[in-house]
Amino acid sequence: MKRQIPLVLVFVFGVLLAIQYFVPSEASQRGYEFVLDWITIIGIFAMVLGIWSQIHVGYNKIKHRSEDWQYSVVTLVSMFAMMFFGLSFFGGLHGTIFRLIYNNVFIPIQATIFSLLAFYIASASYRAFRARSAVSTVLLVAALLLMLRVIPTGPLADPINKIGNWMLLVPNLAAKRAILIGVGLGGVATALKIVLGIERSYLGKD
Amino acid sequence: MKYIILLFLTCLTLCLSQAILAQTASLDPPAEAALVPSEPPAPPSNVRVSDLPNDDGHGIQVKWNLSPDDGAGAKSVISYDIYRADTPDAPDSLWKKVGTAVLGIKSYADKGERDAGSRDYLPKHTNLYYRVYAVGAGVRSAAAAAGPVQATDDWFNDMKVPELVFCVVFLILTVRFINMAKKGADLYVRPLAGIEAIDEAIGRATEMGKPILYVLGIGTAGDIATIASFTVLGRVARKVAEYQTSMIVPCIDPVVMTIAQETVKTGYADAGRPDAYKEDSVYYVTSQQFPYVAAVNGTILREKPATNIYLGYFAAESLLLAETGVLAGSIQIAGTDQVSQLPFFVVACDYTLLGEELYAASAYLGREPLLLGTLKAQDYLKAIVLVCMIALLALRVITGADVIRKPFDMPWW
Amino acid sequence: MTSKMAMRILTAIVALIFLVSWITKSGSGMSDSSFTNVRDGFLITFAVFLTLSIFSFLYRDNPFYKFAESLYVGISAGYWMCYGFWSTVVGNFVPRASRSLSEFFHVPYQEHADHILIYIPIIFGLILLTRLLPKIGWLSRWSLAFIIGATAGLNLTRYLRSDFISQVSNSFIPLFVDWKGVGSFISHISLAADGQFIAILSNWVIFVGVMCGLVYFFFSKEHKGAFGVASRIGIWILMITFGASFGYTVMGRISLLVGRITFLFGDWLKIL
Repeated sequence: MKRQIPLVLVFVFGVLLAIQYFVPSEASQRGYEFVLDWITIIGIFAMVLGIWSQIHVGYNKIKHRSEDWQYSVVTLVSMFAMMFFGLSFFGGLHGTIFRLIYNNVFIPIQATIFSLLAFYIASASYRAFRARSAVSTVLLVAALLLMLRVIPTGPLADPINKIGNWMLLVPNLAAKRAILIGVGLGGVATALKIVLGIERSYLGKD
Repeated sequence: MKYIILLFLTCLTLCLSQAILAQTASLDPPAEAALVPSEPPAPPSNVRVSDLPNDDGHGIQVKWNLSPDDGAGAKSVISYDIYRADTPDAPDSLWKKVGTAVLGIKSYADKGERDAGSRDYLPKHTNLYYRVYAVGAGVRSAAAAAGPVQATDDWFNDMKVPELVFCVVFLILTVRFINMAKKGADLYVRPLAGIEAIDEAIGRATEMGKPILYVLGIGTAGDIATIASFTVLGRVARKVAEYQTSMIVPCIDPVVMTIAQETVKTGYADAGRPDAYKEDSVYYVTSQQFPYVAAVNGTILREKPATNIYLGYFAAESLLLAETGVLAGSIQIAGTDQVSQLPFFVVACDYTLLGEELYAASAYLGREPLLLGTLKAQDYLKAIVLVCMIALLALRVITGADVIRKPFDMPWW
Repeated sequence: MTSKMAMRILTAIVALIFLVSWITKSGSGMSDSSFTNVRDGFLITFAVFLTLSIFSFLYRDNPFYKFAESLYVGISAGYWMCYGFWSTVVGNFVPRASRSLSEFFHVPYQEHADHILIYIPIIFGLILLTRLLPKIGWLSRWSLAFIIGATAGLNLTRYLRSDFISQVSNSFIPLFVDWKGVGSFISHISLAADGQFIAILSNWVIFVGVMCGLVYFFFSKEHKGAFGVASRIGIWILMITFGASFGYTVMGRISLLVGRITFLFGDWLKIL
C-alpha cells in the first residue's frame, strides 16, 4: 500500500492529463484548470515544509555553534521580520515597511548579483578562448564575430554585421532545432517512464 | 584581479559617456485622419455560421463573402462588425457586438467565456443569431444575418492528430524494446563522457574527504528537466552511499525538496546504508533565483565540494554557479535542456550533457533493461525522422516545389 | 598584522564611511520631513553597503558578503511566503472556499465556484504535512505522487508541438530556391543577403545542420566511419551555435554592470 497507491495515483493522473490534451470539451478544460490550481495550493503546504527545513537547518547550526552560525541568526531573523510585516495588517504586500525592505535591500542585492555575470563572463571567456582544439577554436571564432558586431570596427563593420546576423539566423537555427527535437523526444520518454512506473525512486522505499 | 579593474574602468567610461551624450528626442504628433462622410457600403453576402471546431463548446465560426465595396471606391469598407443575439427579431439594443474583422477578412471566430456571470459569456446548446455589417468611414451597411446556430462541445481535437500518432508510435516502440530487453537482448549505447565522469568524480570526492554538491536547477517539480534530474539524483545518491561520502542538495522549491529527500533516502536505502542519510543534507533555501544562487555560491566557497553536479532547468544563474565552482576547484558536470544556457556550461564546466543527453543519463547510470528500452525507442524515432526528412526533401527536389504537402499541416482531409 | 586584526580595522573603516555617507545623504535629502531624509539617507547608504559587500565576493569570501547573503536569503524566503499566502491562499483558495473568510480578507466570494472540489487539494496538502511526523510520514508520498503524475502527464503531450513537431515540420525547406538551371545559377552568383546563392547555401546549412545534429544525439551507434563524420559536423554546428550565443550575451551582461556602476557613482556619489 505504501508504494502501490502512489503508483496508481501517478498512472491515473498521468494518463488523464495526457488524454486531456486531445479533448477540448468544457469538462476537460475545467478538469485541467482544477489540477493546475490543486498543484498550486498543495505548493503552499509544501512551503510550510520548506520554511520548516530552513528553521531546522538554521537552528541546528546555532545550537551546535557550527562555523558561521551567526549568519543563520541573520537569515532567520530577516525571514521572520519579512513574514511579520508581510502577513500582518501592516498592509500586506503593499505595506510601507514591507516595500521599503524589498526595494532597498532585496532589489539592490539582486541587481548586484546579476551584474556579477559581467565579471564571470570575462573570466569564462579568458579561460575558454585558448583554442586548445579545433572544436574550441570554432566556438572562439563564432563568439568573437558576435562580440565584434557591437563595437565600431570601421570598414569591417558591415561585413562582420552581415556574417554575425547570418550565423544567428542559419547555423544557430539548425543546431537549436536538432537540440529541441532531441529534448522533445527525451522529455516524452522521461514522462512516459514516470507514468508507467519505470522510474519510481521518488516514491521512497518501504 | 587586473582584468577586473580593467573591466570596472571600461564600465565607468561607458557610464560617463552615456551621461554626457544623453539626448531627448521628440515625436511629431501623428496627423489626424480626416473623416469624410460617405454613402453606406454594400453589405457582405452569404453569411454562414457554424459551431467552432476543436473548442470547449463556447465558440461560433462566422463566415461571409466580402462586400463588393471591400477595398474599392468612395464607399470603401474599412472593417466588418459582427453582432450576436438570442432571437432573430431582437431589438437593436439587444444585439451585442462581439468583434470586428478588418477589410479583406472573410471570417471571425466568436470565442465566448464559459462562465454565465462573465461579460463575454456564450451559451452552449442555445440558438444564437448573427449579423455582419460592412463598415465604411462613419457609416455602415445594412445587416447580413444568419442563424440559428448552436455551440457544442468537441471530444477530440483533430488538429492534434500528429501528436497522437507520435505518442502511439513512441509507445509501440518503447514496449517493443522493453520486451526485447527483458528477453536479454544486448542493447548497445555509446559511451557518454559526462556520465562516465560521475563515477570518477564521486571517487575523487571520497579520496579528498569532501562532499558532492548536487544542484537540481531552478525549476519546479512541473519541469521535465527537474524530473529527469531526480532520476539521476537517486542513482548518484546510491553511489555516494556506497562510497561512504556525503552530499549536499540545496533546493529552490519546497516540493522539489520533498521529492529530493525521498529520492536521496531511497538511494541510501538501495545501497544498504539507510542510517547514513542525513535529513539536513537536502534542504530548502528560498524560492527565488538569485537568492538561491547567492546561497549556493556561498556553500560552494565554504564547503569546497570536490564535485559539483548541475542537472536540470537553469537560467542566467548557470554561469554564476559554474564560475564559482571553478574558483573552488571542483570538478563540474552539468546538463540542461535550455539551449541558451548550454554555452556557459560548455565553457565553464569539465563535462556537459547537452539537451537530450540529460534525459538519457538515468538509463546510462542504471543500465536497467526498461530504461535502455525507452532510450532505444528515442533513437529509433530519431532515425525515422531522419529518413523521412531525407526522403521527402529528395522527393521535393525531384518533383518540384510545393508538391509534397507537409504531413503536419492539419487537417488534410 | 593578523587577519582578525585586519578584519576589525576594515570593519571600523566601513562603519565610519557608512556613518559619513548616512549623515551626508540625510543632509542633502529633498523632503521637508527630517525623519524621511534620515530614513532615505540610511536606506541608500545601506543599499550601497550591500552592493559593495556582494562585489567583495569577487575578491574572496568575507564576513560582509556572508552577512549580505544571509540577509538576502532570509528576506527572499519571507517575501515568497507572504506572496504565496496572499496570491494563492487569499487570492485563489479563500474566494472559493468560504464566504466569511472572503469577507474577512476583503476578496469577492465566488458564488458559482465548485466549493467542494477545492477541499481536495487541502486534503492532499495536509497529507503532505504528515512528513513532519515520522510514523505516518509515508502518507506524504500520495501527495507527491499526485504532483509527479499530473506534471508527467502534462509534459507527455504539451510540449510535443513546440519542441518536436514544429521543429521537424519547419525543417522541410526547399533546398534549391528559385532554381532556373546550373547556367543561370553560375551567371548570377552574388553574396547579396537576399540573393539566390545565399538562400540556397543557408537552406543547405540548415538541412545538413539538423541532420548532423540529430546524428550527434544518436546513442545506439558508436560515432565511427561515415556516422562519425556526420556526428563531427554536428558538433561543429553546435559549437558555432554556442559561440554565437555566448558572444551575443556578453554585451547584455556588461550592461547589467553598467547599471550598478550608475547607481554607485550616480545615485550615491553624485558624480554622474
